[in-house]
Amino acid sequence: MKTIRQIARIACAVALLAAAASMTARAQDAPSGDAANGKRLYLADGCFTCHGRAGQGGAYNGPAPRLAQTIMPFDGFKGQIRNPVNDMPAFSDANLSDKDIADIFAFVRSLPGPRSAKDIAILNN
Amino acid sequence: MSKCRQSSASSRRSFLKGAGLVGAAAAVAPPVAADAAPAAPQPDLKAALPGPTQTAVETLSPSNDPANQTSSGGDYMADVLNSLGIEYLAINCASSYRGLHEAVINHSNNKPEIITCVHEDIAVHMAQGYAKIEGKPMAMACHGVVGLQHATMAMYNAWCDRVPVLVFGGNIIEADKRAPGAEWLHSGVDIGQIVREFTKWDDQPASLTHFGESTVRAYKIATTPPMGPVFIALDAELQENPIPDPESLRIPKFAPVIPPQGDAGAIAEAAKMLIEAQNPIIVCDRVARTPAGMANLVTLAEALQCGVIDNAGRMNFPSRHPLNQSFRRALIGQADVILALEMNDLWGTLTHFSDRIVRRSAPATKSGAKLITLGSRDLFLKSNYQDFGRWQNIDLDIAGDAEASLPALTEAVKRLTDDAKRSAFDARGKKLAAAHLAMIEQSKTDATVGWDASPITTARMCAEVYAQIKNEDWSVVGTTIRLSWPHRLWDFTRPYQWNGSSGGAGVGYNLPASLGAALANKKHGRFTLAFGGDGDFMFNPGALWTAAHHQIPILYIVQNNRAYHQEYMYLIAMAARHGRDVTKMDIGTTLKDPNIDYATVARGMGVHGEGPITDPKDLGPALTRAIAAVKSGQPAVVDVVTDPR
Repeated sequence: MKTIRQIARIACAVALLAAAASMTARAQDAPSGDAANGKRLYLADGCFTCHGRAGQGGAYNGPAPRLAQTIMPFDGFKGQIRNPVNDMPAFSDANLSDKDIADIFAFVRSLPGPRSAKDIAILNN
Repeated sequence: MSKCRQSSASSRRSFLKGAGLVGAAAAVAPPVAADAAPAAPQPDLKAALPGPTQTAVETLSPSNDPANQTSSGGDYMADVLNSLGIEYLAINCASSYRGLHEAVINHSNNKPEIITCVHEDIAVHMAQGYAKIEGKPMAMACHGVVGLQHATMAMYNAWCDRVPVLVFGGNIIEADKRAPGAEWLHSGVDIGQIVREFTKWDDQPASLTHFGESTVRAYKIATTPPMGPVFIALDAELQENPIPDPESLRIPKFAPVIPPQGDAGAIAEAAKMLIEAQNPIIVCDRVARTPAGMANLVTLAEALQCGVIDNAGRMNFPSRHPLNQSFRRALIGQADVILALEMNDLWGTLTHFSDRIVRRSAPATKSGAKLITLGSRDLFLKSNYQDFGRWQNIDLDIAGDAEASLPALTEAVKRLTDDAKRSAFDARGKKLAAAHLAMIEQSKTDATVGWDASPITTARMCAEVYAQIKNEDWSVVGTTIRLSWPHRLWDFTRPYQWNGSSGGAGVGYNLPASLGAALANKKHGRFTLAFGGDGDFMFNPGALWTAAHHQIPILYIVQNNRAYHQEYMYLIAMAARHGRDVTKMDIGTTLKDPNIDYATVARGMGVHGEGPITDPKDLGPALTRAIAAVKSGQPAVVDVVTDPR
């Protein structure tokens, strides 16, 4: 049986491999999704409770990562929803179909990502 | 029987009626005018015959029972409190300690100053927040039965937080002295029993001498590390009645206990382990109990040039110090020697835990890493409540107060540091400093996401607040669950700029404890502010009235996510685990329909209120107005409707 640390190491390796992929490849990986329906699901199914309505990230038992403009490939995104590596709830197809996940993925990819902090004066105190 | 009652009632009514008539006639009869028309014939008014009580008053000799006294036990009790330098006595008034209450007002001229609270939970939480800023306890008093039951949650928080609070509860020990009715309901054989599992000590003095000794002892026990709340039962007879032998009463002398330092040999061994380590790290929680604590920890960390991961139970380490690695917890897994100082949850800090169907845990430390602990927490534990946490294997376990022991440890480290080690340490410190700067820049970038969103992001909320208070002599004394932005973005440098959290995670702490901290800050002229959740706010909104009544300046920002949000998330996790509907988990976890208007609640208590603020552009001006109110000496609430986290 895998320990949490082993799982975490595997997850890190997956994430690193994913990060190495090009943006083009990620775009090609992602199925077409309905961002409007994804937004509805994101709010109704409670994704926002940990990750924020703007996809800015937040916290559950530990940090919940930012999702706006995520660079995670779709397969990794879906894998995290179906079989998370941390305390995130696992959403089976009883709650979210593959199509629903694709729609949510389209939504979070559509959210504005970070801006330059230098452009916001009060962040530079 | 019925007839007798009627007859008796009739007689009494007749007596009152007659008396009333006489009285009324005397009061309202106009002056008799010379030309007044002749009056109609008047009935022959007669007062009823006096009843037995009236007859007794008029005919019997005065009672031998004394009606006045020239001394009271309460006076001595107030003197004892003042001898200990206790500044404030937070109370919700109650007849079982009316003797002490009156004595504090009249005998000692409202010293300790009475702080009127509308709930005992507020009074104890205020004392908890006060002690963490002022470095000494204040007192609270309540009914020993019904009031103490209200106070218990706050006492548990203080216990878990290792904070000294003096709690006094009125009682009537002798059964034959209790009046019928409520005094029986409000008396007990052992009223301290319900708080004994989360107090360091309690007693029920049976004489004034006993009271003096026990109160000074309680103070000493409460303020000796590991600190904690104590309880003293106040017998009403002792408080109210004359002092039997004033000449024999003495106030016991208090001498504070010098906190214990770790064993010299163990400290030397710890220094050797830290010096030899390639990647040592310090983890800490409640190190700083005086202003010297933070400085002592900085000196040690700089001597080693090692990272510090601060769980922020106190103001332990400056947030922007290059060695502050609190948001880089992966360093724990790289460390070969870990020095854990005054840790509350040591096992939890050093462990990965999975909140899944099968609850698994695994060390976050690397294999072979050595663990040194230094602290006083385990010197006093109790059995029932499990706040001591899970067992953690330790290689060198040093009993002693960390703050008091750090100078010796630092000196030992310096003695063992040669030039080669100094060079290696400096290189290590530079890497950590670079990582720290990168972490800050990353935090700033993270904070920009959703910057203009409504509900307002917590990052924007905190940035707007800091922009307006950063040039004040600020002290932030409360926060919401997992609100990390202040520690990620603000520049904490002074010992009073932070005072930790509830300790026991008992909801209802934040508003009154922040107010207690503000009370301590008031005389120092500091600008006190706190963030608090809406759920927490609703447990003790009455604290705002105390803030207004006593003019305690504080800027209180309600992070209004309209939910008990942690529970909301837990319910979604439960439904998802069970493969059931996740869309209805707002039932029982949210505070909406209707939304609560916290600014209006505040104004209703005489507190400046702003909000609810939903547009981030409105937040800055609202804060400006609220800060002006606070700087004029008032409390102010700003209701910010935020995204959940």
